Amino acid sequence: MKAEYINPFYKATEDVFKTMLDLETERGDLDIVEDMIAGNEANVIIGMTGQLYGTILYSFSRDMTLEMVRIMSGMEMEKLDSFVTSALGEVANIISGNAVTYLANENVSCDIVPPQVIVGENKSISMATEKALRIPLKTDIGEFEINVSIREKE
Amino acid sequence: MWKEKYKIGVQIIDEQHEELFRRVTDFIKTVQGQGEWETRLDKVKETLEFMKEYVVTHFNAEEALQRKVNFPEHEEHKQIHERFKEEVGQYAARFEEEGYSEELVQEFAGKLMAWLINHVAATDQKIGEYVESLEETGNES
Repeated sequence: MKAEYINPFYKATEDVFKTMLDLETERGDLDIVEDMIAGNEANVIIGMTGQLYGTILYSFSRDMTLEMVRIMSGMEMEKLDSFVTSALGEVANIISGNAVTYLANENVSCDIVPPQVIVGENKSISMATEKALRIPLKTDIGEFEINVSIREKE
Repeated sequence: MWKEKYKIGVQIIDEQHEELFRRVTDFIKTVQGQGEWETRLDKVKETLEFMKEYVVTHFNAEEALQRKVNFPEHEEHKQIHERFKEEVGQYAARFEEEGYSEELVQEFAGKLMAWLINHVAATDQKIGEYVESLEETGNES
């Protein structure tokens, strides 16, 4: 997997966090993970199809998720209920949709499938994919990560 | 939920957006509120009915404005509205089939909120920027 495929996801995340949450994101060092594991309590999986295909995993802590939804709604949130996880899923969906648009501008044609939200830690969601690239990200309300496992269609 | 930065600078659209945000806020408050679900359900259904109509009214107004000023991306923007209406329609169908469970209504409310914020804070801003550029060059017609 080429590292350049990571940039559209990072750029989309940065833009969406700024626009929707008024948050700056700082990117840490990329690393390679053997297996895609949902390392936090709130995880969103988005499948990608087309010239590039595979899986994107967005993984957030419970506290960060609640704070993100508080920023959006202006209301205190107490638990990871369907309202909170659905809002989180939509944010990840918007980020991925924007990333696909950036890829299209580079003449790479892809599509995404609707988000699937998984609540609970340390679930392996590997679907016999190859290794994933992990992007750690830091914001004022916490850290989260994006795992990207995509490859080119032969 | 409403923020001043969401304004696009066209009064009628901004007023409609504020109204939409007010209604969605009320809706979320009811959905996430305390008390028995059954007692909150009437208010939920009432807000849903209002929004179904209001969203169409608002989308029409926004699309009319875009045509009037020859907004270059008006066709794409209309497609985004159409896709959203389809998704709302799919939820409406699920409510009819599966019933208005608290979980399903919460799911809808979460998606609606995030979609609306992104649409108004990002996508609709392009209309505002375009209208402003027309005013600057004095080409408004």
